[in-house]
Amino acid sequence: MLDKILRTIERIPAFPATVRKVEELISAGDYSAAQLARVIELDQAIAAQILKMSNSAYFGVRQPIRSIMDAVTYLGQENIIRAVRTAGISRFYHGPLKGYVPTAVQLWEHSVAAALMSQILFQKLYRRRNHQLYTAALLHDVGKLVMGEFVGESFQKVMERVIHHGCSFLEAEEQIIGINHAEVGRRIAEHWKFPEDIKEAIAFHHRPDLLEKENKTIPWLVYLSDQICLMTGIGVGEDGLAYRGLGEVIEKFNLRMRDVEESIVELTDQLEAARGLVNIE
Amino acid sequence: MATIVVGISDFKASQNSSDVLITYALGSCIAVVVYDPHARVGGMLHFMLPNASLDAVKARENPCMFADTGIPLLFKACYQLGAEKKRMIVKIAGGASILNDTDFFRIGQKNITAVRKIFWKNNVFIDKEDTGQNFNRTVSLGIADGRCTVKSAQGMAREL
Repeated sequence: MLDKILRTIERIPAFPATVRKVEELISAGDYSAAQLARVIELDQAIAAQILKMSNSAYFGVRQPIRSIMDAVTYLGQENIIRAVRTAGISRFYHGPLKGYVPTAVQLWEHSVAAALMSQILFQKLYRRRNHQLYTAALLHDVGKLVMGEFVGESFQKVMERVIHHGCSFLEAEEQIIGINHAEVGRRIAEHWKFPEDIKEAIAFHHRPDLLEKENKTIPWLVYLSDQICLMTGIGVGEDGLAYRGLGEVIEKFNLRMRDVEESIVELTDQLEAARGLVNIE
Repeated sequence: MATIVVGISDFKASQNSSDVLITYALGSCIAVVVYDPHARVGGMLHFMLPNASLDAVKARENPCMFADTGIPLLFKACYQLGAEKKRMIVKIAGGASILNDTDFFRIGQKNITAVRKIFWKNNVFIDKEDTGQNFNRTVSLGIADGRCTVKSAQGMAREL
């Protein structure tokens, strides 16, 4: 099964080139709104989703967005990157998903919630946003997309180990399947040529404590965002709460219980506003 | 049979005997289930956090988010349908945590404590309880007979 999973990763369609082009254009700095709009318009699927997202309350643009040119003008650089990445990633989250959750859309909802939470926390801690973190949180469970295709009956065995042997879900996956969904996710991100920071955050999203390098905030915040969403029951799957709690995360960021509770309240607001990001069908 | 879904930070009350109220995948949140067997009126609240003092504005917008503002609302809605406090059966489920979370956020635990305190203060007895531990729960209530079931990832649905 491990072989099959690894071979499948190689066959996953390439990451949408439009997303890369937009990122390159923006990071090069020297571009016009018209240029940016042209790149996005060439990809009809992404363009359609950008239009839908731009009009969701999440981005808080007052006037109706009728064209990609409107979106580029009113959303601003940071939000355009976020919208393009969200649209690019969402196309992989369709169809049924055996084992983990009934449909990939549910996994998508959980992913968007974690991505929004990552920004709420980052904003609370550092008073700004971080789109690498956003992307890492959005992709943290991408490994489940491929795993779900193959686990089949083994999934029962994985759950068996969780329920009767006190294993975490991750440990159970390793024992039964030979690899966990976080590592599969890292390999998918590698296949898509994502930068090291994002690959690392996906690979260690349940165990950031295993990362040797000091002062890595992104993996810890992806971990925390995911755990808070799982705790509050947003888009949870069969694995549910079967993950090990890492208490040090609270001290690491000097968080109080109240901060976590406030973040949960804010997330419910944002999820309401972000329907355009969640509803991808 | 109509299945009525109770969302996160939401409540539903019903006197229609063909209704089944259901809430999915409770984690640290808690479902408060009430039923008056005489009036055949039941209700379910799915709250997220213990105290409305966290955010007064939010609590006004959506009282069901918090235990202390959601529970009175649930009871009032049931009274309006003919339920009476002295006949009401009260059950709670949820308040789970993640594995070995000794120092983790304890929101589940705080929620359990908050519910117990509210009921104790109001002289309401909690008849049945399935709380804590570390798995998700799906809870349903049949309005016809007050049957309340809790299903966890651990397997079979069982009656509470």
